Amino acid sequence: MNQNINSVESVVAQIQGLSSSADDVTHLHGLLKQSEELLQSESTRLAPFLAELDPSKHSLGYLYILEACTTAPKAKEQANELVLSIARFLNDCAAEQIHLAPDKFVSVCKRFKDQVMLLETPLRGVAPLLTAIRKLQSSSSEHLTSLHPDFLLLCLLAKCYKTGLCVLEHDIFEVDQPTDFFLYCYYGGMICIGQKRYRKALELLHNVVTAPMSTINAIAVEAYKKYILISLIHLGQFSTSLPKYASSVAQRNFKNFSQPYIELVTCYGNGKISELEAYVQANREKFEIDHNLGLVKQVVLSMYKQNIQRLTQTYLTLSLQDIANTVQLNSPKEAEMHVLQMIQNGEIYATINQKDGMVRFLEDPEQYKTCEMIEQIDSSIQRIMTLSKRLTALDEHMSCDSQYLAKAGRERQRFDFDDFDTTPQKFNI
Amino acid sequence: MASSSSSGLTFKLHPLVILNISDHYTRVKSQSQSQSPPSAVNGGETTSPPPRVFGCVIGVQSGRTVEIFNSFELLYYPSTNSLDRSFLEKKQELYKKVFPNFYILGWYSTGSEAEESDMHIHKALMDINESPIYVLLSPSINHAQKDLPVTIYESELHVIDGIPQLIFVRSSYTIETVEAERISVDHVAHLKPSDGGSAATQLAAHLTGIHSAIKMLNSRIRVLHHYLLAMQKGDIPCENSLLRQVSSLLRRLPAIESEKFQDDFLTEYNDTLLISYLAMLTNCSSSMNELVDKFSTAFEKHIIRGGRTAFF
Repeated sequence: MNQNINSVESVVAQIQGLSSSADDVTHLHGLLKQSEELLQSESTRLAPFLAELDPSKHSLGYLYILEACTTAPKAKEQANELVLSIARFLNDCAAEQIHLAPDKFVSVCKRFKDQVMLLETPLRGVAPLLTAIRKLQSSSSEHLTSLHPDFLLLCLLAKCYKTGLCVLEHDIFEVDQPTDFFLYCYYGGMICIGQKRYRKALELLHNVVTAPMSTINAIAVEAYKKYILISLIHLGQFSTSLPKYASSVAQRNFKNFSQPYIELVTCYGNGKISELEAYVQANREKFEIDHNLGLVKQVVLSMYKQNIQRLTQTYLTLSLQDIANTVQLNSPKEAEMHVLQMIQNGEIYATINQKDGMVRFLEDPEQYKTCEMIEQIDSSIQRIMTLSKRLTALDEHMSCDSQYLAKAGRERQRFDFDDFDTTPQKFNI
Repeated sequence: MASSSSSGLTFKLHPLVILNISDHYTRVKSQSQSQSPPSAVNGGETTSPPPRVFGCVIGVQSGRTVEIFNSFELLYYPSTNSLDRSFLEKKQELYKKVFPNFYILGWYSTGSEAEESDMHIHKALMDINESPIYVLLSPSINHAQKDLPVTIYESELHVIDGIPQLIFVRSSYTIETVEAERISVDHVAHLKPSDGGSAATQLAAHLTGIHSAIKMLNSRIRVLHHYLLAMQKGDIPCENSLLRQVSSLLRRLPAIESEKFQDDFLTEYNDTLLISYLAMLTNCSSSMNELVDKFSTAFEKHIIRGGRTAFF
């Protein structure tokens, strides 16, 4: 026992000694890997040693000891101080040293998240995990780490959606684990729904639904249900066929799992609010089990919007009374409220003349004549150019991939000598 | 052959003259080459010296300005080291009928430097024009050289070793263009491929031309900017005439200020940007499509295909 404690002390001394330069740190890393079982065996008694180390200077050593410390199951009382110490470590640690042992870092963060959820204060975990993500990701902000979904989950539970949004703003180009990706997009979609940013939510959910998968998973099925609802709210329509880049597994099986939603779509398409409400009422429990009832109610509300928008395509001016009748609202006052809301959101362009209760539908006033429009288009062009470069790089990478070459070669037509056409032909693809 | 002229005359040269001389030279050279191959077999010479062409330049002299408009060719007799006089007079009469203002201002030739024998021809012309001009075009192609290889020489009486002699002195000149000349020079400069090319190559050639022009403009403005900065810092003494020129240049833009112009200009600008945006979007979606096809070929398990597929 004492021998082990002495060895632990020697390890601590080594950590303190060898944490100054990059070469020392790699040397230390090797030493720490060797002393891993030792640390694991002493996990219950490592807590006082943590006090001797400085998280910002001795990050690597601190990380190893912390990780060994947290392997032991903790009681709820100790969870509080553990959360505090891990939070402090996450804030202070040095990113270069962390990069030498990323998986340990990730496991520490996961345990941190578990503790925070055990204490039922998800808000405490949000800020430390955000710094943790930034530090783990410091190579490039386009890399998806395993911490992203945990972070988004905590944001969802703590209801601080804005912090979650700031992480979602960055585009992701590299993914390590598919589960991470699915969870990230699913939680991200829910955060965007919470912030009413339906377009981004639709995009994220679309990513989950069309991601390559060899067998369907529960995350994708849930995402598909929400995808149907958001697409009805935001776009007013939904096509049950998935695009061709969705996996064939998804294309065949999703519909079986989301039957009530598909019927909701057909009901929505008919355009009658009363029927829609009746259907929702009838299938209430099914929606409640999926926790989607709030979204379904928003779908019903969006029906009015769709109907009003359909009116803009037929009429130039319309009275509020007529709007109320066509859209099956109760009174012109409600119609006015809806139209006003839509004008504010920028969904239609119209003017309401309150004297005689007429609404005049206008065209999009954008003339595309201003300098701001130039800047906007220019920035879009720049974005597309970078995206195009990436796509070409990916395309080349894919063309050299051995699996692709094997399969593409097999499908090549085989010519007989007679079939061979001597006249040269031009193939335009 | 030295220094710079002190006569105080300003010379203006039209591009037509330069084109004429270079055309004359090229023709003679290609004709002599097509004739010479049988005779070039004997002798060890690989290339014969480039032939010299001669001719007359005509134009207007008003006050101190000499403007050289046109030129015509003359035959040279190496035996007497003189030009064909009768032909010259005949041509002069003909030109007088069409352009009554034009006088024979001098003569031209090709070569790298003015030579002693040229003075003989020069003196011979002195009876037509008391101070003729000698235009020399250097036909050697030198890519590093930025200026035109054309020099204008005047003759001056200098006392050398106690003997008054006529020597050639260099004069500076400027290029003056008429609208028609500008168009033809432009056309010659941007020779298109003979088959016209497809629309894409023509557009690419056009845009490359514009790009290089803008690049040159940019580099020159940068030089000016650098110069002004240095002047501001005090590294270079302040030169007011240059400053005046720069300020007049700057005041030339913007050319049109009206509201309607802004509107039209911005609309057209936006339209062009939108078109290029659309082109890029199409390009991107096409590459995305290919990528997705490749991906599904590589990684999808069940692909139902019937019969022959499209060959690509």
